[in-house]
Amino acid sequence: MSLDPSLMHIAVFFIVGIALPVVALGIGRLLRPHQPSADKSVTYESGVDPTGDSWVQFNVRYYLFALLFVIFDVETVFLYPWAVVYDSLRKEMGLFVLAEMLVFLLFLVIGLIYAWKKKVLEWK
Amino acid sequence: MNLTGEFVAFFILSVMAIGGAVFMINFTRVIHMALALAFTFFSIAGIYLLLNAEFVAVIQVLIYTGAVSILMLFGIMLTKHRDEEKGSIAPWHSVLSFIAAGAFFGIVMWIIYRTPIAGEQVDLKQFGVARLGEAVFKQYVIPFELASVLLLVALVGAVILAKKEER
Repeated sequence: MSLDPSLMHIAVFFIVGIALPVVALGIGRLLRPHQPSADKSVTYESGVDPTGDSWVQFNVRYYLFALLFVIFDVETVFLYPWAVVYDSLRKEMGLFVLAEMLVFLLFLVIGLIYAWKKKVLEWK
Repeated sequence: MNLTGEFVAFFILSVMAIGGAVFMINFTRVIHMALALAFTFFSIAGIYLLLNAEFVAVIQVLIYTGAVSILMLFGIMLTKHRDEEKGSIAPWHSVLSFIAAGAFFGIVMWIIYRTPIAGEQVDLKQFGVARLGEAVFKQYVIPFELASVLLLVALVGAVILAKKEER
């Protein structure tokens, strides 16, 4: 069993993706002067003196954004094989393929509207 | 054992996966742990790719590296994550866990070597995303639509639970 040549593209992207930040930050570290002082290591907060530190405890309601994100992420998983087979199935079944996905999306849009109406998406 | 590109890639990816897991346990800051865990998930996606399971690899990156890591980071942000815990561990604790892990490894290896792997060899390439998509969108249309109802229920349930929490 040999490797699919298209895997090599992914491997190249993978290596470049890891190497780029490592090399960029590594060279930056070599070139820049390193003279820390108490004033420099203060957390940046728009020019004013920061109160507390950057590790605050967030409100529970932000967790909902993460949960909504996971649900729509799972939806993407279904979109991916659909996009792959769309052309071949359209020749066989016509627009039924499109209707399938529209019904699927409709349910999730209903969920989104529900969340919207419940004022979950408001950022206060 | 001949040195193919696949073997080298598998070796690198498994070192990365195990390394991520070890770092996750050894880091003291929770945020570093979450990042190390995401790294492990990502390496496992690479291993899936080597096994010709492209779809599972994509899901691994999308759901685990993307969504589950984000969910964990959000969960960490909501809790008290500042204490870098250094609990007192009994001296025999690590010995005991080493024995347990070793026993588990032994049992798993024993089972793997004992199990006869029957069946004929097939070309793995034919089980690609296209085959899966055809099955889902032609044969199993109703379960597919039901999956969207399931997602809707999960969404509504999440909203209701979080709203109740707020009051």
